[in-house]
Amino acid sequence: MFNTDRTRRDLLKAGAALPFSGITLGSALAQSPVRTPSKVLDFLTNADVAKAESEGQLVFYCHENEAGTAAIMDEFAKDFPKIKTSYVRAQTGALYNKILSERAAGRFDVDIIQLSDIAPALDFQKKGGYETYASPEANAYKPEYLSDPAGSFFWTGVTFCGIGYNTVKVKGDEIPKTWKDLLDPRWRNALSCKISSSGLQFVQWYTLRKLYGDEFWREFAKQRPHAFDSRVQLFDRLAKGDDKISSTADYGGYALFKSRNADVGLVTPEDGLPATPLIVGMVSKAPHPEAAKLFVDWAMSNRGQTFYQNNPNLIYGSLRNDAPPMLTGARLRDFKLLFPSDIADYVASQPAFTKEWNGMLGL
Amino acid sequence: MKLELSGKTVVGAAVAIAAGVLVLYPVFYLVQASLDIGSPDVRPPEAYGFDNFTALTQYSEIMFNTVAVSLGATVMAMVFGFIAAWILSRTNVPCRHVLEQLMAVPYYVTPLLGAFAWSLLGAPESGFINQVWRALGGHDAVINVVSPFGIAWVMALFEGSVAFVMIGAVMKSMDPALEEASQVIGAGRLRTMLRVTLPLVAPGVLGAAIFVFAEMLGSFTAALVLGMPTRFYVVTTAIYQLVSQYPPRIPLAAAMGVSLFAIMFVMLFLYRRVIASHSYVTISGKAFRPRVTDVGKLRWVLFGVAVFYVFISVALPLMTLAYASVQKLAVAFPAAGNWTLDNYRTALTMNAVRSALSNSLLLGVATACIGVVLMGLLSWLIYRSRVPGSGVIEYIVMFPQAVPRLVFAFGMMWAWLAFPIPIYGTLWLLLIAYITVFLPLGIRTISSVMLQIDNSLEECAQVCGAMWAYRTWTVTVPLLRPGLVAAWLLLFVASVRELGASILLMGPHSKVITPAIVESWFASSSELTAAMALMQTLVVALAMTGLLFLTRLASKSGAA
Repeated sequence: MFNTDRTRRDLLKAGAALPFSGITLGSALAQSPVRTPSKVLDFLTNADVAKAESEGQLVFYCHENEAGTAAIMDEFAKDFPKIKTSYVRAQTGALYNKILSERAAGRFDVDIIQLSDIAPALDFQKKGGYETYASPEANAYKPEYLSDPAGSFFWTGVTFCGIGYNTVKVKGDEIPKTWKDLLDPRWRNALSCKISSSGLQFVQWYTLRKLYGDEFWREFAKQRPHAFDSRVQLFDRLAKGDDKISSTADYGGYALFKSRNADVGLVTPEDGLPATPLIVGMVSKAPHPEAAKLFVDWAMSNRGQTFYQNNPNLIYGSLRNDAPPMLTGARLRDFKLLFPSDIADYVASQPAFTKEWNGMLGL
Repeated sequence: MKLELSGKTVVGAAVAIAAGVLVLYPVFYLVQASLDIGSPDVRPPEAYGFDNFTALTQYSEIMFNTVAVSLGATVMAMVFGFIAAWILSRTNVPCRHVLEQLMAVPYYVTPLLGAFAWSLLGAPESGFINQVWRALGGHDAVINVVSPFGIAWVMALFEGSVAFVMIGAVMKSMDPALEEASQVIGAGRLRTMLRVTLPLVAPGVLGAAIFVFAEMLGSFTAALVLGMPTRFYVVTTAIYQLVSQYPPRIPLAAAMGVSLFAIMFVMLFLYRRVIASHSYVTISGKAFRPRVTDVGKLRWVLFGVAVFYVFISVALPLMTLAYASVQKLAVAFPAAGNWTLDNYRTALTMNAVRSALSNSLLLGVATACIGVVLMGLLSWLIYRSRVPGSGVIEYIVMFPQAVPRLVFAFGMMWAWLAFPIPIYGTLWLLLIAYITVFLPLGIRTISSVMLQIDNSLEECAQVCGAMWAYRTWTVTVPLLRPGLVAAWLLLFVASVRELGASILLMGPHSKVITPAIVESWFASSSELTAAMALMQTLVVALAMTGLLFLTRLASKSGAA
């Protein structure tokens, strides 16, 4: 049923132009001074831990929600109490503009940045925004889940979506089974999706357009969907019956609301589930470089990944080769994920997506 | 005389320069951004043009929505505000001091609270009122706040409550002899209210109307919470999406913001024309004691009106949030297993929230203290000094009110990033930002009272030989006290609940509370948001009670 290998091969097929393909970790390691990794807690690091602790601080810029961002910092601080953590969170667009403006003005206050979309991450890499750091934990990842060349950023997790529905209002044969079932007129004015700032929505638009053609989204627009910012808003409305189904119901939101015994269900269509990575990287000219390296290693490690998978405000599937199951018992490899097969084309199509999506929503 | 003139001139010039720097410095960057037609990531811009302004024609429906909802909300807010202020300032209704404090509560709380509470109450499917209605055998929905009218209603109740505070301050400064004279010659209470009270408080009402309209134009959360489910967008929610997406369309958002100032410019021009053509002096050399009118048995009807207003704008929303905050998933009829106190536990254990709350209170006090002095002097400069160019200053200081703060914050970010003194990312930047964006609020509140004070009082002191600073301190400031106290409290509250500018200007070590609450609504849970909003309301209420107590203590000791 599920075959992530196919999508990974698709990535590789796209050739050298693809930023995620064909680059081995070895080439990146060769660029950095050789250092013997040391073991801290239960993970490996090339950071000088004593120096990181004497730096005493870590500044994190993150797209994630407030509670999720705070939780990441708190968890890291629990492991390294001598490093005081702080953060700024904002939507990816505003956050990215903020860091670019700061750097243009000569302000370098940030150590680590996490973004929800690959497009700004690639742009930031092109602008020399990332510091190259070869983490010893990177060996646990396939090359396509690292930057090209490796060392700039990595995929700290994956979020993916299926079709959500209210189990009281939608029953039996009414429950959609395929993506095309979203086009049934019965869902007109009763369907929700995300706004154009969502990386997941962009990926869904891109991947389903590849599968079903442009006509799919034109027909979808006729359903007059209600669009929201976050998964919590989507599932909150779904659970309360304000919307009957959601076309962009991400797995983390489903797990969160299921744990509250909400009346929500999730359909995983056979054609696959659109998926998008969360991107973490160390920023160049970071004011606390050793603390930043330590964080990258921690986030890449099984320790950090388990946290990213299990925290209720995150619930992002881990791409580590040896990732443990998620809180729900499922592993990422249990799902057929749809990643964009041609990253260059994907990034280039963003303006078209934004225009079409905003137009559909009346913006 | 020469020394006095130079003292006035120096103070006036310093205040004008300070206001100019605070406003025009970021405005320069904002206008620059609105004309930016180069790559959005490159600063300063690579190319300039008017493309962003011409692109606004594509958003005519959104512009229309914005003006329509803002006008509707302003009219409702002014009617509510005027009636409430008249009842509580000019009549002898029972418990008027308690009601007066409760009336202003909607303005104390985060703007999200009202919209959020009313969406819990009045959403067509899941709204508590509609659930109860259907449980009683009704069909469909008896109320629907997820509509343009619902947005205007919530905006009027919560963001328009400032109208009550502003008009109330003016009414308290009015000599009751004028109303009494009207009644002595046979006019009824309604006729007196319409023909005497209303014209006398006209500058205050007009000023408040302009301020409230501008507040509505920049209103964000009500349209976000209640408009998005029905795809009803206004400028601020459109801007929010334009700056959130990647790549962010900040130049277009800046053009939208700058365009809103054109609407405000027209409003302000009309206001100045109106106040220039009449005298609104009600405080003159003749002594008076503020008195209320005995309205007889009508006071119980008016009491009922005031209590109803307090119920729908304060009690009902707070009770709704309290009910939602102790549930896992907020519904009208929760099952036994749905009750929980976890939302409060979570809110209390969030370190970021605790430090953000104390930062917000600190900034609130600092903004109010500095703001009252600066804005008081600016009001004097604009309306009393008769220096050339004072009208221009008024237009300048209104700019932050006209431009949605979400957009103005970008101008401030670029401006203060480039500033040689490193205040970016600190609480100092937020303090500067708050003083800047609340200039119109403070000036409007203080100037409404200032316009009622006859110049002859100051002139009398001048004839007696008092220097400018001395007569300002001993004559003008005591007469302005209601306006100054109202401005202080409004500035304090407005700072604590500020959202638009804070989102972008907060640094890792300078967090404030309202963005955290709004964030929680976006991405954590409605129930946790309800708990956080109630905690913020409680803390602000305690702070306000303490401050009011201190104010009364100070005024008693002053009187003694």
